[in-house]
Amino acid sequence: MTLLEAGSRADPTSRSGTAKDSPPGDLCLVVMETPNAPNAEASAAVTDPPADLSHRLALLLAGIAQGDQAAFAEFYQLTSRRVFGMARRVLIDPELSEDTTQEVFLQVWQSAAKFDPAAGSPLSWLMTISHRRAVDKVRSSQSSTDREAKYGASTQDIDHDTVSDEVGSRLEAEAVVRCLGTLTETQQESVRLAYYGGLTYREVAERLNAAVPTIKSRIRDGLIRLKTCLGVS
Amino acid sequence: MTEMNQGPNGRSGAFGDTVAMDLASGRAVDLAELYALDAVTDHERQAIEDYISAAPDTERLAFLERVRQARETLATTFRFEEEPPADLFNRIVAQLPDATTQRNDRQPNAGTISAPPATAAGTAGVDELAAARQRREERRRPGGARRWLAGVAAAAAIALGGVGVGSYLADQNDPVNQVIRAGDLREASVDVSAGGTATLLISASEDAAVVKMNDVPAPPEGKVYQMWLIPKDGSAPVSQGLMDEDALSKPAVVQGISSASALGITVEPVGGSQSPTLPTVAAAPLGA
Repeated sequence: MTLLEAGSRADPTSRSGTAKDSPPGDLCLVVMETPNAPNAEASAAVTDPPADLSHRLALLLAGIAQGDQAAFAEFYQLTSRRVFGMARRVLIDPELSEDTTQEVFLQVWQSAAKFDPAAGSPLSWLMTISHRRAVDKVRSSQSSTDREAKYGASTQDIDHDTVSDEVGSRLEAEAVVRCLGTLTETQQESVRLAYYGGLTYREVAERLNAAVPTIKSRIRDGLIRLKTCLGVS
Repeated sequence: MTEMNQGPNGRSGAFGDTVAMDLASGRAVDLAELYALDAVTDHERQAIEDYISAAPDTERLAFLERVRQARETLATTFRFEEEPPADLFNRIVAQLPDATTQRNDRQPNAGTISAPPATAAGTAGVDELAAARQRREERRRPGGARRWLAGVAAAAAIALGGVGVGSYLADQNDPVNQVIRAGDLREASVDVSAGGTATLLISASEDAAVVKMNDVPAPPEGKVYQMWLIPKDGSAPVSQGLMDEDALSKPAVVQGISSASALGITVEPVGGSQSPTLPTVAAAPLGA
């Protein structure tokens, strides 16, 4: 149908690149009325390469530090799935996970000014806050035995927990799977138990019936190997 | 267990049983990964932080660098996502301390895009944030497009005026700003037959132009202005969208100009046309 084709061509938002080049809270995505624009929303969150996302998140944090609520809303929109997803993996319980997510974003609102780009990426900053909160909560609310049991029941396939569809991060996700494969089984197991299980190195050692110094080494060496493979600099 | 307490490269990683032992034996830096992973108790964390804060620069910086890298690695590696409940954001907003009133003076631009009805000071922040959220949702629907045109105008007016471009509201990701900051920007102005002029700020490197109408009268009743790119290859003009009376005062970004020879503006029935109704009211060559 010629008409349909013309109609879709007439939609300025359908041009690839427009949404990609624009921030998700974009002011200019559609500058004029666009009657043929059913897909006016094209979230940059799903198309931005990680570098752009980092840049965007850093700008938003600067805005949040100034009390900009719209920046806060956008920051939440871009990152809440990661925060909540991690909380769910660590805490299992939905309500505790919601509480944790809530605390994390309140902390973001209050301490965005403390974000220092030189000290790491915005996502790393956020996930550090989030993991710490989740671990604090899991340790205060559940015995380590409970955690181990729940962890074991819920994390059969962490290798494949890169559920993100982000175009920009797909390559990254593949690299993660590949790089996790360069770790020994025991290194992987130890790092995962600590990260998603919220276990201390001593609890990991007890759980795996291994010597404490051995577990410390596995975690250190595993993370360093992962870092090297991923090219984290 | 018989596993060697050594890294694969013979790292000097002879950990002890406790963090205290590791610190005492000079292995603080090797605790960076455990620390970054939160795989220590609160007590141990405190001990590590106390030690590091008093450590010599080289040791402290080496530790912090290892922590930073480990955190980046973890954020990259463990990326499970799950959609939080839809109302969670509003619950968070309801908990925000009322930081709005005293902070508003530092973001003068915010007022131009958010004009919630005046409320009691105690809830202003919440309302404004809720309003921001609502605006975001409205933007996702085509019908909401006009509502946030004001935001475009605010950002662009700042940028075109040459002041306040450092504002986070007018950040460099904004398409208008991306174009007008281009190094190869050039300006062209054409008369509009109905009156007034159209100014084009053209950047080949951004493959885009900003179009601004000056003193152009509103389109006749039941009509809108429609902008077109005229392709160089002689194919049919491609609509770049519609401009009603409200949109006339806002700068518009037209992208993908490299394949076009000219920009044309026509008068069309409300809703726009599939092909331009001649004559054009304005036409501007985009020539490379």
